[in-house]
Amino acid sequence: MTTSLADHLRSLPDESLAALLQLRPDLVVPVPADVSALATRAQSRVSVARALDALDQFTLLMLDAARLTRDAAEQTTSTDAVLAMATAGPHPPAPTTVRAAVNRLRALFVLYGPESALRVVAGVDEVSPYPAGLGRPAAELDARAAALCADPAKLRRTLLAAPPSARAILDRLAAGPPVGSVPAGALQAPALGAEDDLPPDPTNGGVPTGSPVRWLVDHHLLVPVSGGRAGVTGTVELPREVGLLLRRDSGPLGPLRSSPPPVATAPREPKAADSAGAGQTMEVVRHTEALLEQLAAEPAPVLRSGGLGVRDLRRLARAVGVDEPAAALLLEVAYAGGLIGEVDLSGATTTRHGADQQVLPTAGYEVWRAGTLAQRWEQLARAWLTMTRQAGLVGQRDDRDRPITVLSAEAERAGGPAARRAVLEVLADLEPATGPTPEEVLALLDWRAPRRSRGRETAHREVLAEAATLGVTGLGALTSYGRLLLADVTAADEHGDDPLGLRSDAESGEASTAVRALDALLPAPVDHFLVQADLTVVVPGPPDPALAAELEVVAEHESAGGASVHRVTPASVRRGLDAGYSADDLHALFRRRSRTPVPQGLTYLVDDVARKHGGLRVGSAGGYVRSDDEALLTEVLADRRLEPLALRRLAPTVLSTPYQVGRMLLALRDAGYAPVPEDASGAAVLARPKTRRAPARVPVTTRTLDPLTTPKLAMPRLLGVVEQIRRGDAAARAARRAPAVVRGGVGRTGPAPVPSHSDALAVLQQAVRDRALVWVGYVDAHGATASRLVRPVSIGAGYLRAEDDRTEMLHTFALHRITAAVLED
Amino acid sequence: MSGGPLIVQSDKTLLLEIDHPDAQACRMAIAPFAELERSPEHVHTYRLTPLGLWNARAAGHDAEGVVDSLIKYSRYPVPHGLLVDVAETMDRYGRLQLANDPAHGLVLRALDRLVLIEVAKSKKLAGMLGAKLDDDTIAVHPSERGRLKQALLKLGWPAEDLAGYVDGEAHSIELAEDGKDGGKPWTLRSYQREAVEAFWAGGSGVVVLPCGAGKTLVGAAAMAEAKATTLILVTNTVAGRQWKRELIARTSLTEEEIGEYSGERKEIRPVTIATYQVLTSRKKGAFTHLDLFGARDWGLVVYDEVHLLPAPIFRFTADLQARRRLGLTATLVREDGREGDVFSLIGPKRYDAPWKDIESQGWIAPAQCTEVRVTLTDAERMSYATAEAEERYRMAATARTKLPVVKALVNRHPDEQVLVIGGYIDQLHQLGEYLDAPIVQGSTTNKERERLFDAFRSGEVRTLVISKVGNFSIDLPEAAVAIQVSGTFGSRQEEAQRLGRVLRPKADGRQAHFYTVVSRDTIDTEYAAHRQRFLAEQGYAYTIVDADDVLGPKLPTVD
Repeated sequence: MTTSLADHLRSLPDESLAALLQLRPDLVVPVPADVSALATRAQSRVSVARALDALDQFTLLMLDAARLTRDAAEQTTSTDAVLAMATAGPHPPAPTTVRAAVNRLRALFVLYGPESALRVVAGVDEVSPYPAGLGRPAAELDARAAALCADPAKLRRTLLAAPPSARAILDRLAAGPPVGSVPAGALQAPALGAEDDLPPDPTNGGVPTGSPVRWLVDHHLLVPVSGGRAGVTGTVELPREVGLLLRRDSGPLGPLRSSPPPVATAPREPKAADSAGAGQTMEVVRHTEALLEQLAAEPAPVLRSGGLGVRDLRRLARAVGVDEPAAALLLEVAYAGGLIGEVDLSGATTTRHGADQQVLPTAGYEVWRAGTLAQRWEQLARAWLTMTRQAGLVGQRDDRDRPITVLSAEAERAGGPAARRAVLEVLADLEPATGPTPEEVLALLDWRAPRRSRGRETAHREVLAEAATLGVTGLGALTSYGRLLLADVTAADEHGDDPLGLRSDAESGEASTAVRALDALLPAPVDHFLVQADLTVVVPGPPDPALAAELEVVAEHESAGGASVHRVTPASVRRGLDAGYSADDLHALFRRRSRTPVPQGLTYLVDDVARKHGGLRVGSAGGYVRSDDEALLTEVLADRRLEPLALRRLAPTVLSTPYQVGRMLLALRDAGYAPVPEDASGAAVLARPKTRRAPARVPVTTRTLDPLTTPKLAMPRLLGVVEQIRRGDAAARAARRAPAVVRGGVGRTGPAPVPSHSDALAVLQQAVRDRALVWVGYVDAHGATASRLVRPVSIGAGYLRAEDDRTEMLHTFALHRITAAVLED
Repeated sequence: MSGGPLIVQSDKTLLLEIDHPDAQACRMAIAPFAELERSPEHVHTYRLTPLGLWNARAAGHDAEGVVDSLIKYSRYPVPHGLLVDVAETMDRYGRLQLANDPAHGLVLRALDRLVLIEVAKSKKLAGMLGAKLDDDTIAVHPSERGRLKQALLKLGWPAEDLAGYVDGEAHSIELAEDGKDGGKPWTLRSYQREAVEAFWAGGSGVVVLPCGAGKTLVGAAAMAEAKATTLILVTNTVAGRQWKRELIARTSLTEEEIGEYSGERKEIRPVTIATYQVLTSRKKGAFTHLDLFGARDWGLVVYDEVHLLPAPIFRFTADLQARRRLGLTATLVREDGREGDVFSLIGPKRYDAPWKDIESQGWIAPAQCTEVRVTLTDAERMSYATAEAEERYRMAATARTKLPVVKALVNRHPDEQVLVIGGYIDQLHQLGEYLDAPIVQGSTTNKERERLFDAFRSGEVRTLVISKVGNFSIDLPEAAVAIQVSGTFGSRQEEAQRLGRVLRPKADGRQAHFYTVVSRDTIDTEYAAHRQRFLAEQGYAYTIVDADDVLGPKLPTVD
């Protein structure tokens, strides 16, 4: 054993260690107790995986080259060996790029040691089992395959003899990954005598080959790894030597690409992209406002399971005139931007859904609405960039086959911001106004960080679509203001050491550069309109807020976009009159705002409606006095004693009062009149005094329980308590017996032998199978080492779940925090 | 921002500010793909519809060009989503083609196999498609051509019809522009020529021209272009006779070559004029006169007043897809909302011109539209207030108070030919007695009608009271004043047709007057507002005057 990673790290100057920690910040959460712990952590699977995630395709292949060139005994390799392998292919990359890649890997301490004796940290092999998509060496797989591979001439002959269908399988496996699954029974020899019944193979000139996989296995070109017999689906692996031979045209590492794939689309005129994007921003802001207005008019109830119902989403989308995915996106963005929020309902079952929460626009919405178009858009786009939601999931089904609803917890994705950043950065790195196809963007992403982008193609496509919907991109290219916004958000992120938000733009009240850039592209608000004979009112641009507010009252909205068209109808004029405008105000409004002469028809319409407006009067009264005798009513009205009733004459035979009937009756009777109350239909109501009673209740004597007696304990319950105590006792005794490895106490016992993290994992996995008790040593959240005797239940998603028999509790341990595991004997 | 004349709205309407210096150029650029929806005085509204975009594709415009002209003339940034939508919509056209296969006859051929699979599975096409000839081709029965095109349009995959038109039985027809039988030489007006050219280039379609703008001549010119036997479908017998007169005067056709197929006569000649009514008449539930469509190998079918085309004729028209079809109308506004069927079965709109444009060129008379508001008497108001809902319009429209107003209006134009148009027979009789004028109504015989019209034409009768029968296709050349007292509720196209009665250009170029008398504060006013909407959208601004001003001793001039 030569120098371990721990020794190597220990020998580094402080600056180099700090550099490592900066590159791999996950190593300091929690802060490791000493260098050994740091080394253990740096080699753990999770940490290595994180380090590799950020690397581009070429660098990863160089790491694979380093792994492939390790020498069997010493497990070391050298930069030269990597270089030799990388340049073995038909299109060798420049040696400097290879060296740069190796240096990147060394900086991350995925490779360590001197250039002549590089070592690969242990975790790498766990993270990706097949370097460069090649299988294990034949010697590790199967003796007969190894024998075949040891004889290159025979191997070549066997390969050439392979039938076309078998060759196709080989080529597929050689491109990687080198393992394939085979259907159950495919490897089984056909029944004796049934060879002739095999169907002819068209790829082999009609000669039956049987299963091509079986042919390959029989000739030791493939090695069955597991299963494959009757009834079991199996896997086969292509030995490394065979794979290398098959790759002789493309080089041992497969096709190499030292720079990102080029984009075929030529850049457009920057103005075109910006203009299309700016048009879209107007749409987004308008749609969002319409959506929120709709929500304010009819709030949507929150489902019991969280989120808004499908029907509500459909209703909102239809009302606004967008499709459902777009409506879902805008709602999510508005929520992330703080424009909408939930409100508790006071009566829990007031809505028909029985929900007790509703979604409504927030007070922040009012502030947002007062901003300029560009400011409003920026708030939305910023919210979109940083929200941890994936709106594209709305409408799909979750693991339990229930639909994912908008604003529900199921659409939460922590990786959202990173994915958006990654996609937009790809666009930002291209020349301005280049609009690559989604496929090209995905290819670029795949090159830049293959480990991160694999399996997220759908999410990345969604990001592209959402960016287009929100106007961050125009004609597929990142717009100039979108670029500024992205830079701004990224910068804000990098200033992570600003916990108090001192540098926040929002506080300073100054428009960001993105807002200013977008402002320049958007039309300026107008304060006038054109009125036409067909009673339409055209505002030739975005109306300024005062004009918009006036039009909202006096005209019906008809068409929106860059300009807006409104129609004046009798109903809208009536609305204006109801809102307090007089006919003259309306005439003046149209005269003042209109650039064109006001048509006569409009003047007549306003006058006609105004004339009829208020022809009927509606009010409320507490009660009335009526009489056929007008003189009597006049007497009542003039009676000073009745002044407190505030009687008012509505008609010669009717008086009204704001007070209730009872009070009026008393007052009238006191004043010496003889009124009779009547009901709604005019019939006289007779009154009779009513006797009052308290509500019914249960007699006290039926309650027999005395609250002061001690509760009786049954025997079984007592036995249970005793057993619990005994078990706790045993566990406490056992805890004192924790093995030294686990007890660890790094500070106390000095540099203990650092057990491999993977060993611990193996022990735990075995323990899960056996349901055995295990001592687990782990680093807690404060960096202290602790140990616990547990019974593992399951391992998955980076966590160990285990029962503590003593406390009967289920504990969860992060696997990367586990330092050791020892079986309890 | 280019400061152009066009504003692109997100609901796919285009607003064209006509006072802008580039407005005319912009109109030329967008006319091929956008439909003119409204043309009031300041801002014209066009609309982008899938149909319009597909028609533009059919006429050889591509999506790139459409997007370019939108961006070029747009004042504000055009939303990205809208541009994408335009391109995608246009891309749907022509993925399927209807073509003539030498071996299998009419076939539906796919340039995009998946589309063919999609539409072949659709239930709407059940029974229209025949055997599958290969992966990209399906046989189509020739009789299903129209219905298939219609159904494909509804599915959003319009087929490009490459199967062409049959030439029909040749028959020599020439325009007699030198004047015939001693008549004066004349020429087609520029817009008539453009309309015919647009129609002929497209093969089939609808030409929209204002009343009085000479739609008959467009029909005649199309026949001269086709030089084939022609079937002309008109609304009624009188209109048919008028077509006949016009054709004899303006083309090389003689009286013997033109047949009338109506309730009275059943002649089938190289050019046959038939009424909608006789074609849709049924005996024992069967249409007895449908054979007319197959009676000859027609090379051209002309539909007059296509906006009135009755539903059964739609069905027959679907069978006539191999023949050239020309629709003529003043307003494509159909109160039943079946404009889409007209487009898909007769053909798309091939020519359209704002009324005011033609007026400014002097081809139709400038018209002054006036709404006269009558205040009902208290008694009339009371009976109106207590009337049943369905009786209210009749009560308001036929108020007796209107009579003196109509008389005052008639007297105001002592030297003009005046038409008084109403919808209720009782009211017409009252008017006839009050004004001492003859009445033309549904029950008037054709003979009597023609006598009255002739008398009116010659100036013998100065005032004529007509019912709804006069709405369409009667040629009253010298009517300069029309007074409308009641109508079919809020029918916009009726209003347009009635205005058309006075739009025929006057010999001395004087102005035409169109009055509509309505009762104030009643449903009559509301309907009037609705009726006027189409004309207001065409740029006719109504002046509103009070009946007292009309009746009063001093008549203010309304010019």
